[in-house]
Amino acid sequence: MDIIVCIKQVPDSYDISWDKSTGSLSRQSTGAILNPIDKNTLEAALTLREERGGFITAISMGPDQAEEVLREALGMGIDKAILLSDKVFAGADTLATSYALSCAIKKINRFDMVICGKESYDGVTGHVGPQLAEFLDLPQLTNSTEIAVKKNKVLVKQKIEDGYRLLEASFPVLITVGKNINQPRIPSMEDIMDAYREKMIDIWRGEDLNSNTEGFGLNGSPTKSQSVYVKKLEKGSAEILKGEPDVTAKRLVEILKEKGLL
Amino acid sequence: MDFALSGESKMMVKAAKDFALKEIEPVTEKIEREDALPDDLLQKFAKARMLGMMVPREYGGIGSSALNVILVAEELAKTASAAVFVMALNNSIAETIHYWGSEDIRQRFIPSLCDGSNYASMAFTEPATGSDPTAITMTAKHEGDHFILNGTKRFITNGHKNGSGVFYAKDETEKVTAYMVEKNTGGYTWSKPWSLMGLAGQGLVDVFLKDVKVSQENILGEPGKGFHILLRWIAGERIQQMAFMTGMGQECLNQSLKFAKERMVRARPMTAMQGFQWMLAEMHASIEACRWWTYRVACMQDAGDDFQIDSAALKLFVVPTIQEVARKALQIHGSYGYCKDYKIERLYRTIAHAGITASSTELQKTIVGSALSRSKDI
Ligand SMILES: Cc1cc2nc3c(=O)[nH]c(=O)nc-3n(C[C@H](O)[C@H](O)[C@H](O)COP(=O)(O)OP(=O)(O)OC[C@H]3O[C@@H](n4cnc5c(N)ncnc54)[C@H](O)[C@@H]3O)c2cc1C
Ligand SMILES: Cc1cc2nc3c(=O)[nH]c(=O)nc-3n(C[C@H](O)[C@H](O)[C@H](O)COP(=O)(O)OP(=O)(O)OC[C@H]3O[C@@H](n4cnc5c(N)ncnc54)[C@H](O)[C@@H]3O)c2cc1C
Repeated sequence: MDIIVCIKQVPDSYDISWDKSTGSLSRQSTGAILNPIDKNTLEAALTLREERGGFITAISMGPDQAEEVLREALGMGIDKAILLSDKVFAGADTLATSYALSCAIKKINRFDMVICGKESYDGVTGHVGPQLAEFLDLPQLTNSTEIAVKKNKVLVKQKIEDGYRLLEASFPVLITVGKNINQPRIPSMEDIMDAYREKMIDIWRGEDLNSNTEGFGLNGSPTKSQSVYVKKLEKGSAEILKGEPDVTAKRLVEILKEKGLL
Repeated sequence: MDFALSGESKMMVKAAKDFALKEIEPVTEKIEREDALPDDLLQKFAKARMLGMMVPREYGGIGSSALNVILVAEELAKTASAAVFVMALNNSIAETIHYWGSEDIRQRFIPSLCDGSNYASMAFTEPATGSDPTAITMTAKHEGDHFILNGTKRFITNGHKNGSGVFYAKDETEKVTAYMVEKNTGGYTWSKPWSLMGLAGQGLVDVFLKDVKVSQENILGEPGKGFHILLRWIAGERIQQMAFMTGMGQECLNQSLKFAKERMVRARPMTAMQGFQWMLAEMHASIEACRWWTYRVACMQDAGDDFQIDSAALKLFVVPTIQEVARKALQIHGSYGYCKDYKIERLYRTIAHAGITASSTELQKTIVGSALSRSKDI
């Protein structure tokens, strides 16, 4: 079974800074890690390969330093790594991200399954998996907590608000996974060495995916950030309402209404 | 001069951190209670390819560097558990056997140390001495194509566990030779483990050799070279040990910061008080100095430079420095730090060992001092 896994590099600290002029994350300023759920994404693919054989390709779109997360994926045991890195991809919103990823997956052409994380640690939109499924015209099984393959079908257990659903689809398929699906393996020291010394990472530019690069990056992004700001907590003065409970409760409701909070 | 760690090294540190959290931290209390390491831990280290890391792949190692070994050790040491010693010994002893051993010895003894089927031991200390190699009394009598070993070794880590050990003994020439001994063969017995102040599960036993037969093929290096082998091993072991100290020092600071940020004194967290800020600052500066010097000496080892004097000077600095870090950490924790419920208590006891083992701090002064006196540079 040939599996494509999409993985993202995210900032590793709470200390995220914003580029006020573009409204996007300033990635230079913090350390970066593999999106935590994407470890589960990789583990899900590796487990399926162990059961059924096959070939795993990981794709990440990001700046050159996103190579690190692909090295980590190679250390965990995937077969091939592709980095989508080009200035034309910069400033992408979730639509342009999914579009670029879909072009890369179409270029790979041969696959039975695409696996994404349910959401990223920084953007947290959860858009990319579903949008990718639309671009590729694939059935999508989201928020999976278990994946099983039976003959020509894939079955997943999907976590929903108050329980689970069992879903089934045929191949090729796109699956998104949640944190609880598995325990990601820790790469061995030997595999880490090999990931850095023996393995190659393919770098694909915009024109490798599509001669028309209009749909990529800022150009292809309908979402525009108006502004970004950091929430400020200001110390105010406290007003204490005294008196009978029904009177003070009424007064409280009035105040909240005055402030537009009710 | 490049102070940046490679991507490979950084990822090894991350993997070691994940390993410590998944495989060691959850069992530390059990180890303390039972004074024994879980039987499957060595296999887990092997699977993570953390054993024999410096040995070439043809013997079962991974052909990595001394720097990578100590980076892993530093991270694992944050658990303050004897588990780290098992990993470190299997690394340093496999490296020693590879460095000195004949092809036959390498083939016979190294793979089982790397695949986690055997525990390595280094047996030098005796009841009468741990610091003076000339004073050892274990004897090796040449008989035909083998030697007969007799005597007692004291405080031997994993001396009771199956595997091979490097034993130091004197032959008729009174010279010290290193012999590869299969533990637990005929004439090999041991005491019950010593009960230690810290490092629960370390498995420190006295080993009694009574007419233990060792083939002459099992001489490590050349006859009479035992002292060289021991000193070179100890020099490398010291770097690992200082990496443990750095890791444990860092954990002392991490725990202290966590505690001091939460603990309120007169309605403000302790970290708002300058006295504690200064303590934390001093701890941080001390740990950084220890860390980078340790990395530097490991890099010397990787470059093939003579690092014996440097590793002695390193120990001379790191041991008291990190012991002071631990003292401050205990102080910051107040009585909580003196309770077993807090990690500082275990860190403090574990950190206490380092001035004694793998040659004492006093001996490092002699090594460095006499080297300075001999130097012709000034
Ligand atoms: C106007 C605008 C400008 C932006 N500019 C930038 C910018 O300049 N630089 C920047 O880094 N971000 C930028 N972003 C953020 C960017 O859109 C998102 O990071 C990205 O689209 C993924 O969305 P998400 O993080 O919410 O992922 P989610 O949809 O929450 O992620 C789910 C899963 O999708 C997959 N996935 C997500 N992103 C990637 C990826 N890049 N490669 C491979 N797989 C992936 C992973 O499997 C992940 O687990 C911008 C966003 C907007 C709206
Ligand atoms: C946790 C642990 C693990 C150990 N593992 C092993 C092991 O695997 N294999 C092994 O062989 N041993 C092992 N040992 C033993 C350890 O290496 C020795 O105990 C150590 O070398 C000190 O020797 P000693 O106890 O005989 O002290 P001594 O040599 O008697 O020293 C006592 C004191 O005298 C000082 N001193 C001694 N000689 C001099 C001198 N010439 N000048 C100045 N001061 C001097 C020392 O610095 C020390 O302060 C282990 C010990 C511990 C605690």
